Parts: sequence; C-alpha cells; structure tokens
Amino acid sequence: MTSSSAPSRKALSKIACNRLQKELVEWQVNPPAGFKHKVTDNLQRWVIEVNGASGTLYANETYQLQVDFPEHYPMEAPQVIFIPPAPQHPHIYSNGHICLDILYDSWSPAMTVSSICISILSMLSSSTAKQRPADNDRYVKNCRNGRSPKETRWWFHDDKV
Amino acid sequence: MGNKLSRRRQVIDERYTRPQGLYQHKDVDHKKLKKLILDSKLAPCYPGDEECAFDLEECPICFLYYPSLNRSRCCAKGICTECFLQMKPPHSTRPTQCPFCKTCNYAVEYRGMRSKEEKGMEQVEEQRVIEAKIRMQQQEIHDDEERMQRKLETSSSSRIMTPGETGYRDLSSISHAVPSYNFPIESDEIAPSQESQSASISRLPSRLRRNRDDQFDVDLDDLMVMEAIWLSIQENDTRRLVTHGAALCEQHVTENRYTSTAIASTSSPSGGLACAVAALAERQHIGSESTNDLGDTSTAGTLPHACGPLAGEEREGYTSESWVDVSPDSRRALSREEGEWGTDIGSEMAEAGTSYASSDATVDLRGATIPLPNGVGEQFQPNISGSILPESFEEQMMLAMAFSLADARARTNSQGVAWL
Repeated sequence: MTSSSAPSRKALSKIACNRLQKELVEWQVNPPAGFKHKVTDNLQRWVIEVNGASGTLYANETYQLQVDFPEHYPMEAPQVIFIPPAPQHPHIYSNGHICLDILYDSWSPAMTVSSICISILSMLSSSTAKQRPADNDRYVKNCRNGRSPKETRWWFHDDKV
Repeated sequence: MGNKLSRRRQVIDERYTRPQGLYQHKDVDHKKLKKLILDSKLAPCYPGDEECAFDLEECPICFLYYPSLNRSRCCAKGICTECFLQMKPPHSTRPTQCPFCKTCNYAVEYRGMRSKEEKGMEQVEEQRVIEAKIRMQQQEIHDDEERMQRKLETSSSSRIMTPGETGYRDLSSISHAVPSYNFPIESDEIAPSQESQSASISRLPSRLRRNRDDQFDVDLDDLMVMEAIWLSIQENDTRRLVTHGAALCEQHVTENRYTSTAIASTSSPSGGLACAVAALAERQHIGSESTNDLGDTSTAGTLPHACGPLAGEEREGYTSESWVDVSPDSRRALSREEGEWGTDIGSEMAEAGTSYASSDATVDLRGATIPLPNGVGEQFQPNISGSILPESFEEQMMLAMAFSLADARARTNSQGVAWL
C-alpha cells in the first residue's frame, strides 16, 4: 500500500459513481494509448499503468498512477499521483506528486480520467532531461505526513510541457 | 407571439422546473430557476437517463441523457441544467469559466431540442473524429515502422532523432495544450489526394496489413453498397434531411460502417475502391473545411445554403440573459418572437446556423474567443471557432492530436503528405 492516506474520504456521490462507471466502460472500449487500468473493485481509486512513449526519454519504462476520486467528482478534481518510484521529471516530485495545472486550478468537470492520462503522458514525452524539480527535497519534506497534492498551492510557470 | 412559445410553455411540466436531485444544490433560487425554465431560457430539469436513446443528448458533465440541453454561448457545448447550476452558483460573484473552452463569464442559452440539422452536423463531427482517430492509428503504425527501419539502417550511428520522434514531441506539446484547445489547422497544409493516400498505404508494412485483414474483413460488394448508401445520404442531406427519424439513425450507422471501410482501405486486398471512397469523403470534408470561415462549414455538401440571412434575426437570441444578469421581464419576447423558430425549414436553418456556421454568429463567437486566457487566443484560430468542434473533450483532444500529427508529418516528410 502506498503512504498516501487520502484525507478521510467520503464515499462517492451518486452522480460521481455513475459517471465513473461510464468512464470505466468507455475506457475499456477505448483506452488511451499507453495506459492500462488495473482492475480492482474499487471505483473510487484507480491504479493505472503508464508506459513511456517510444522515442521519448521514458521509452520502455512503466510507472503507476493512482487516481483517487472525491465525493463530488467531477465537480472536484481527482487526486492524481505517481505511486513511487515516480518518473524522473522536472515537474514530478519524488513522492509522486505532479505539478500539472489541470489536476488543480485548471481542472474542469468536462475532463475525464482518460484526458488526464493523455496530458500526463504528453508531459512525460516532452521532457528533455530526466531530473527532479529543483525544490524536490524541500517539497517532499513538507508533505511528509501524507499530505495530498491538492492541498499544495501550486505555481504553474512552465507552459512548454 | 410565436405559437411555439406558448406550446412550449404548456409542455413544461411543473415538476421539471426544479432540480431532480442530481446534486445537493446549495443556494439555488428555486423561484428564479422555475421562471427561467418556464421562459425557456434554461432547459427543463428532466431526470437524466442512464441509457442513450434516439433523440437524447448526453450531458458531457454528468454523462446522463436528456431530451435537450443548454448551450454555452462561447462554444455551443451542451450542459444539463443541473450541472450548469453546479458550474455557476447563482450568488457567486466570481466569473465562471466555461468548463469546455475556458472562456470567462460562462453563460448558457437554451434553444430547445436540437434541430435535425444540428443532429446531422453532430454526426458529421463524430464521423470526422473517427476518421481522425484512424489517421492517428495509421500514423502511429507508420511512425513505429519508420523508427524501426531507421534503427536498422543507422544502428551503428549515434543518431537518435527520427521523424517519429518529432511527431511525438509535437503531439505532446499539443495534448498538453489541450485545456486550451489548440487547433493548428492550416488550409494549405491540408492537401489530401488519392495519391498521397496510396503513397502512405504502400508504406504500411505487409505484416501489419495481414494483421489488420483479420480485423476488418470487408469485401468489395460491401464497399460498393456502402458507397451507394453514402452517396444517397449526401443526397438526402442536401434535401435538408426532410426525412429523419429512422433515416437519421441509419445514417449514423452507415457512417460508422463507412469508417471501418476506411480502415480497411489501408489493409484489405480490395482496398482500392475503399481507398477511393475514403479519399472522396476526405476531400469533401476537407475541401469545405478549408474554403472559408463564414457560412461554410464542414458540411458544405450537406447544407448547401448559407445561413447568413436568417442569422441576423437569430442573433437577437445571443443577447439573451445569462444566469446571473437575468432581468426577468425579458428581452426574450423580442428574441423569441423575431428569432422564433417555427416549424418551417427555413427557421430551422437559422437555428443550425447560429450554433455552428452563420457568419454573424461567428463574429460573435470570435469576439468571445479572443480574450481567452492562457494563450488560448493565440492558438485558437478564428476561422475554427465558427466551424464544428467535436462534442466531447476527448474527441477534441484526439482531433487536435491528429491535426498535430498531420502537421508534424507534413514537416518531416519530404513528400509533403499532410493527411492520412
């Protein structure tokens, strides 16, 4: 089990449940390329395998995303982290937290798990150096008690990725 | 007074003037909501259906199906009333962004049920998205193959970059820009031809062709039948879909089937004709796409008439209230009376026109598009705003990626094959 204890999560609302079921069905019919949903009976937490795209720094590497859905999904963004070991990337912290605006401020209920996955893969694919964010250690230390990345006040500065 | 208005008033059942309990709404002014629904400014709160049925539209937020949806003024995307209330708490002072295109000051309007034209256009959209997906798959296969070959050829050299990679980079930059809807379409790069299609087909490795044959077993007769159906659909459309209902359903199905022939065209031995059919369709779509940004939409073949003249009236509808600044005593009478869509075909054109293609409405949309934050404005080309965007977010993304792939390909490929 990972250390990320999601802050006392409430069960999914009816509407969240319904939407996630439909997203899952859609995923099974038409999964985003490079991703594999690991089957569990837990609709509220998805574990997704990510394969680095060929021709990129992460080719032939596999990582795992953990997606936790809040009670009021999709009005509220899901929490998305890499289950450590997280890929070495300038916007991915070693505790798996991802600095990507659509996961936080720019979330829109019109997005889906599938669209998130594609954004994350594209973020990986556009990386030119395998390195951690400059403030990795400080940030990870601050998150020690399993704090959710959604509680972080992110500053999105790099619009090139 | 248009009769449709009074008819509509009667039709809305009292119980559909309040939320059906999809969400725990806080702070909803029920009186105001009821009035807006009775005045046809917001879609009635019908209970959402789990299953898709003919004539129902899916709300892209709750994924439930409704007889009609509200449309965002900025990008004409549908949303059910209950989800809209969630997006825009009535007492909030903060301007809300459109969940679909991120335009500030999100507001919706209600235009009743979709017209047949709108439905037809949505199907064409779907069709194009499917085609785009196919192109992406083909591109992927092609890139992989090229990369492999490059590896073999230059196994001793230290060169790492391949055209495929370039494509990937491009793909990534664009799909990350997805929240901002990047559509780098340039008409001069869209230059499909049968030649270019067959060129790329021939580059497909035979191994793949064989694999794909198993999946898409289409024979020549089927193809011919499909082409006939396709042509007759076109003809029907030109007659502005006088027949609908089952016919529309069928059209949908055949379009999908038609698409599979397009896939097959890259692979099956009988691919020649299918290829020609695909090219034909491609040219029809793209030809119209790149013609101009006014009355013309991708369905030039389908909707041969410019929608301009009627759009002037309908534009009144665009001034109708947003949720917040509603003045209940209604400018609406005006907009409905003048722009009211009767049952005659002409006014249906107006409806379709505003939503997708009319020149006047396009100007409006452009106005809304320019101040987009996050650099959306720079990338969102005006001539796109008036044309059809795919319905769902993912589809838009797919389309955007397909365009970017095609774009990258055009740049990396000396033959200049931009599409397929």
